[in-house]
Amino acid sequence: MARPEWIKTFFLAKTAPLTTPPHFREFPHLTGKECTHCFQCMMVCPAPGAIEVIRTEKPGEWKPVIHLGHCIRCGLCVEICPELVLDAGRVHTKNAQDGTYMQFQFHITVNPVTCMGCGSCTVACPVNKEIDPQLAAKGTSTSDEVIMRVYKGINTVFHEDKCTGCKTCEEQCPTRSILVARVLEPLQISEEA
Amino acid sequence: MKKIVDVSIPLGPVHPIFKEPCRIKCETFGEQVLAAEVELGYMKKGIERIMVGRPWQEVMFLAERVCGICSVIHNFVFIETMEKISGVTVPDRAAYLRVLANELDRMQSHLIANFSYCYTIEHETIGMYLLNIRETVMDMLEYLTGARVTCAYIVPGGVRFDPDSEDLTRIMTAMDDVERETRRYMNMFESGPLIGLRSKGIGIMTREQAELIHAVGPTARACGITTDCRSDHPTYQRLNFSPLVRTEGDNYARVMLRFQEVLQSVDLIRTIIRTLPEGKIRGGGTIGRGETTHQGEAPRGELTYRIKSDTHGRVQEISIQTPSIMNIEACARYMIPGVTSVADVTAAYISSDPCVACTER
Repeated sequence: MARPEWIKTFFLAKTAPLTTPPHFREFPHLTGKECTHCFQCMMVCPAPGAIEVIRTEKPGEWKPVIHLGHCIRCGLCVEICPELVLDAGRVHTKNAQDGTYMQFQFHITVNPVTCMGCGSCTVACPVNKEIDPQLAAKGTSTSDEVIMRVYKGINTVFHEDKCTGCKTCEEQCPTRSILVARVLEPLQISEEA
Repeated sequence: MKKIVDVSIPLGPVHPIFKEPCRIKCETFGEQVLAAEVELGYMKKGIERIMVGRPWQEVMFLAERVCGICSVIHNFVFIETMEKISGVTVPDRAAYLRVLANELDRMQSHLIANFSYCYTIEHETIGMYLLNIRETVMDMLEYLTGARVTCAYIVPGGVRFDPDSEDLTRIMTAMDDVERETRRYMNMFESGPLIGLRSKGIGIMTREQAELIHAVGPTARACGITTDCRSDHPTYQRLNFSPLVRTEGDNYARVMLRFQEVLQSVDLIRTIIRTLPEGKIRGGGTIGRGETTHQGEAPRGELTYRIKSDTHGRVQEISIQTPSIMNIEACARYMIPGVTSVADVTAAYISSDPCVACTER
């Protein structure tokens, strides 16, 4: 390859496309059960961008799409899904036998020193938008049902339990003063219960 | 500086017997090697930096990928460090299953290490036989955990899957095969004159030298130092583990010690399967704030994780100390100088089972 051409390719290289090589075995695969778009599979995935939950053409229907070229076959998404939408190998059989499951909690921490109350996080939050459309349209809200909003000049968290852990707020914050923790706990149903 | 040597011979970074890139610079006088220096740094990944700010479920997979051969022990020590930070307890059955996975991993690592030694001394037949045994072990690892390498079997408070009696019987049967085959190839290695001549008395490191350079793992145990982090581990103590030691300190001792440890692992696995307690495999528990250091015995020696985590268990600071750096340095300082032929340099280097991927992370 000629040198100028090589330099051009080198500097203008784009990210590798999310193609699936033909030799890959097809797992994790979809079982056909209905997805409730809780996004837990996306939140637990350790490989960036390997799984995404998207809307299908049918209104109101969602489904996970797995880019097998990025997937590391850890099986966490299969294990965490509450609706058994995904399956891989013996994971479901084993989990049903042993009574093992995983539980997610999300915690939002706001640093009160660096937070300047700009409200970028509250406007960006997709859950906030669904709860209070006014917040999305005008940027102000008086509802206490939202996850968080600017209250007395500082971002205040009202309902941590509604958070889906997507970290959109974290990406939007100009001062990096909001942090979302994805706390995963592996559990097993006790035999006594 | 006055030049006292005839020729400086560089080996590597690309060399047929090197699994990973590394350069050995030998100063020779005729065929005799007077001094050696090992140059590392061809494959730095910066994996510790990627780990910062992530929760355990992401760091666990990165930790496994520090080293492809001994991935279970990285998972094991990382999760144990996180458990030590937050006081999570592990059920008995899970603790035994962890050791089972770890011993299977140690067996396959030792077998591939001995394969590369046999390959280095140009005895590829035994090498290929050993790889054949290793495949059996890898299959068992897959039955237990679901993956051959990077198993992600160990999670905080337990393990991911519980093997049923059928799986355990299968592992038990495979262990008989592995033991029989390993003993056969061990005898070949022990009694084969070409292999014995090629390995005995080459790359000698004395006990004092090994102590001075802080050699770890099989490299140190082959010099007569009784050092094994497994003897400090509560589950191994319950299994009456005691480390194996040889005193010769040459290539032969290091390879034979690894064969003996494979057989020891077979015994450990049998004991585990026979005495596996019933009960839960996950105790539950979340990771919290803290800072601590924890050691575990990797196939190559002592592996240390130092982790500082925040309130919700995200890793704030992490530093990994892997065993191979000690052994590579011991190799350059004491094993290689004194060998009578440049052809023995690579054999001495490979006999210390260096893992460059671990070392450079």
